Amino acid sequence: MSKAILTDITKCIGCLKCVSACKETNNLEMDVPRIWQKNDGLSAENWTSIIQKPGNHFIRKQCRHCLEPACVTACPVGALQKTNEGAVVYDSDKCLGCRYCMMACPYGIPRYDWDQSVPYVRKCILCFDKIKNGDQPACTKICPEGATIFGDRNELLKIAHNRIAENPGKYINKVWGENEIGGTSVLYLSDIDLSFLSYNTHLGNKPLPETTEPAMKSVPFAFVGMGGFMLGLNWIIRRRMELSKNQNEDRGNKDE
Amino acid sequence: MESWLEFAKGPLFRLTFAIMLLGLIRIFMLDIWGIYKAYRKAGDKNMPWKLVLSRGLEWFFPVNRVARNRPFYSTFSTLFHIGLLVVPIFLYAHVKQWEKSIGISWITLPFDWAYWLTISTIVFAIALLMGRMFNKSSSFLSRKQDYLWPILLLIPFITGFVCAHLNVNPTYYQFFMLMHVLSGNLIFILIPFTKIAHCVLMPLSQVVCTIAWKFPPETDEAVCSTLNKKGAAV
Amino acid sequence: MNRVQNTKIILWLITGFAAAVGLNRFIFGLGATTNLTDSTPWGLWIGFDVMGGVALAAGGFVMTAIFYIMKREEFHPLVKPAVLTAFLGYMAVILGLLFDLGLPWNIWHMIIFWNPHSPLFEVGWCVMLYSAVLLLEFSPVPLEKYSRYAKIRNFLMKFRFVFVLLGIMLSTLHQSSLGSLFLIMPFKLHPLWYSNILPIQFFLSAVALGLMMVAFESLASHWLYKRKPETSLVEKLGKTVVWVLSIYLIVKIIDILAAGEITIVLNGSWESFVFISEIFISIIFPIIIFSVPKMRRNIKAQWIGSFMVVFGMVFNRINVGGLTMLSITGDSYTPSWMEITISLGVVSAAALVFLFVIEHFNIWDLKPQDPESLPHTAPSFDYSSHAWLGTPDAASLTKFSLAFVLSFAVGMALMPEKKLHGKGIEEITVSRASGIERLLINGNKDDNLVEFPHKEHIARLGEDQCAQCHHLTLPRFIENSCWECHTNMYKPVDYFKHNWHASSSGANIKCDNCHVEGVQRESKSAKNCVDCHPKYDFNNARFIGSQKYFAISYTDAFHQLCVSCHFIKADELNKQNLTECKSCHKVKIHDQVAENLKWKTTLPHFNSVILPNIEKEKNQSEMSKDEKENINN
Repeated sequence: MSKAILTDITKCIGCLKCVSACKETNNLEMDVPRIWQKNDGLSAENWTSIIQKPGNHFIRKQCRHCLEPACVTACPVGALQKTNEGAVVYDSDKCLGCRYCMMACPYGIPRYDWDQSVPYVRKCILCFDKIKNGDQPACTKICPEGATIFGDRNELLKIAHNRIAENPGKYINKVWGENEIGGTSVLYLSDIDLSFLSYNTHLGNKPLPETTEPAMKSVPFAFVGMGGFMLGLNWIIRRRMELSKNQNEDRGNKDE
Repeated sequence: MESWLEFAKGPLFRLTFAIMLLGLIRIFMLDIWGIYKAYRKAGDKNMPWKLVLSRGLEWFFPVNRVARNRPFYSTFSTLFHIGLLVVPIFLYAHVKQWEKSIGISWITLPFDWAYWLTISTIVFAIALLMGRMFNKSSSFLSRKQDYLWPILLLIPFITGFVCAHLNVNPTYYQFFMLMHVLSGNLIFILIPFTKIAHCVLMPLSQVVCTIAWKFPPETDEAVCSTLNKKGAAV
Repeated sequence: MNRVQNTKIILWLITGFAAAVGLNRFIFGLGATTNLTDSTPWGLWIGFDVMGGVALAAGGFVMTAIFYIMKREEFHPLVKPAVLTAFLGYMAVILGLLFDLGLPWNIWHMIIFWNPHSPLFEVGWCVMLYSAVLLLEFSPVPLEKYSRYAKIRNFLMKFRFVFVLLGIMLSTLHQSSLGSLFLIMPFKLHPLWYSNILPIQFFLSAVALGLMMVAFESLASHWLYKRKPETSLVEKLGKTVVWVLSIYLIVKIIDILAAGEITIVLNGSWESFVFISEIFISIIFPIIIFSVPKMRRNIKAQWIGSFMVVFGMVFNRINVGGLTMLSITGDSYTPSWMEITISLGVVSAAALVFLFVIEHFNIWDLKPQDPESLPHTAPSFDYSSHAWLGTPDAASLTKFSLAFVLSFAVGMALMPEKKLHGKGIEEITVSRASGIERLLINGNKDDNLVEFPHKEHIARLGEDQCAQCHHLTLPRFIENSCWECHTNMYKPVDYFKHNWHASSSGANIKCDNCHVEGVQRESKSAKNCVDCHPKYDFNNARFIGSQKYFAISYTDAFHQLCVSCHFIKADELNKQNLTECKSCHKVKIHDQVAENLKWKTTLPHFNSVILPNIEKEKNQSEMSKDEKENINN
């Protein structure tokens, strides 16, 4: 059931139609280069961008819609949710603006309305309204080259592996997003190294929510344990004081 | 001169306006705090609140009270105050400035009204100043600031009038505008620290007067009965 | 005895200044106030106010544990101030958080919307609960003053042990969970600070910091009120902190060794320097100071030692909270003066409340002699009102409020002039195209050139059709192009320069030359440009829709200008290849050039492209007539 996007870097011609389709679908406003933006073209008003690399390589950047997203785990009020369809969606009514999701994302995707006095977190939501009704996202729909396609995640993985097998030497033998940090719903096929899309070149296959899980699971034990330890300590000390009090009666306890 | 004007209209205005606004709130609060402390120390806690309120309101319409003794002074003063308050607050150009900077606007004076109100304010201010100078009892009671204030208040009105209604070349325009803005800023700064503070302290003045009579209990009544006016208000 | 009063005046000055800046933050938003960026969404307010603030407030639970649980009765004088500091510390944290949160009015959402997987959710709940517990724990002190609340006080006193225990349990959780917050960022946090046992490290350092904060605060407040310092108690605290710091140091060393990061510590990078200095300031020097008995007893050494731990541990929180992520995210962040001001303001406000409580309630076993309530001090004279201000108490009130008002006003004056939307826009100057007959347009300045046959276009469209592309706004250049006014495509442009017209160095014309006499002087009633400049031809000028406050990017403008016309012509002439990208983008980007590109300056343009919608364009060209009329008016 989980849907995904497969982007084939070798097919992209950098026409930017996906970018403008995204803007139109999501009613995003005109973008202006701001000092707080990152140099990847994404911004509060730009949810997908094309990064140009030497040799006419065009890499479309967007939210990766991780299978086990760090941002969803991070959000204290559950404003970010992973839906069954695969999209990571944002509920602005719940958000309190702590920006922990932006800190947690290993790809540095979520952007913020820094210029607004009522700011929200902004990122690609995989055109959730459309895919819910069986349609596909605006970006994949408009792509003239079929460079970015939408479909069932398992099928897209099959297609990707087929392409690698059918065109030996054309691609790097890896589907980006298949296993990294537990897998993502936005997959890439590429002839160049795409590790610059994340903060670290070696993300590993361990989902990020698992890093905080042990700490969160031990919370009740730490709570009860500390309470028990303190009570026990208090009991021992009181007992000792009583014993010594019995030994020399003349010392009375001070009033606290 | 342009950059000076920009500075006077921007940072300097924000500085002086903030000082005025917060300064007025400050002395109002301090006054209430002082009244509260005095009230706690007063021997007689029985305050004629209704009388205080009605007398305070009476002072808001000076025509009622002062008119009997000094009808011209009273009328002039009232008209002067109206112009003094209405013109700066509701002038079209001023409201536009507010709208441009913080996006809030309110009703504005029609062009002709603003014209006549400005002139009337200037005239009445001069008249009041003359009255103070030539009336013996007034000049006896006056301090330096009582003479300086009408003059200071005249400057922005005159310069503002020049800028808004006379056909002057840019050099003069900017000079008058700078004077207008600077004098306005000076007024803002001085308001909370001089007698103009009566704009917020006036409602409290009657309370202060009444409490002053209450320290040894029933002083007010004792005074009244000595003066053979038993039962009268002090 | 002016020490207290002077301190208070300084605190009031900072608070007033910060209040004005804080107002600025709520009106104009985070972008206008902070230097935060998309790569550095957490800055000084989280690092210092929240992370540091919570850690600084650790003294509360540490002291209550020592006094109530371990029954070390000699520490009694330190317990009440410690609990008070903790409570005010948490209030300051919440206040600081209100500035930092994008939507501070939603702060209560954590109560109803739950995400138990989130460490921040747990921290939030613990902070809420612990603040409440601290309030209950502390409230018997102020209630003592009023006999009518004796019942409530007795009730609270009965459960004091429960509150203390609960407070310790909650503190353990959120002090360590502040460390858990960063477990989810293994790729962002520098390896020297990232560790799987970050929560344990945070808890240990919080205990050490709590002890030393209590010591430091005791030294400071006794200095302020000229009381005899509690040297012997600080000495005992110092003895304890050596143990805690040693455990913390051992844990850190084992952690570094186990992760094999010892080479990173010594590799001479910026982070390694920060790490080593942090270790020395927060751990090693204090251990040395407090383990030598002679130094431990010396009050100067106590000052230095306790301050080192306080400073070093807060430094640690700032490092973890974002400072050491900068080299990985490749961002540069220095807090803006407004961020620093607000941080200081929050601390000052908390300090003022602390001093107020200390003076008015029974915090120390002996109430400090209130310097302003000495019976024989003369009333002070106020020069502005020519009045004697009565009791010194009231006089100091006037001074403090005046300090607040004045510094607030200065803060207002320093408020940046720039409006909300003008904030943060990058300066990218626009330059003209090169060439004469065949123009090379380098819109993004990335050498992605478009070759534009200017002469051919004139030939096709006719000599009189300049207005189809050119603005026609400046008097002497009837064919002037966009860059002449829009020197920066993203900044608003005032195409009628009123200041220039009305300045003696400019046009130097009198008011009534343009403004009709006897009416309000404003743009509506003024003459039209054409009345003085007959050569201006707005009717033929092509305005590329005036969107919001700025001109759209060079690329966007040209795409709309060229492509929309090309679409129309393609239909007219039945030449579909006119609509293809390559019909204009002929000049290929050279790989070598591309490698030297500065991505920072090129990409934002490249990605903000909006391709014109043909249907919309057609409607617009019909609409533009009305628009022109509007502009002409």
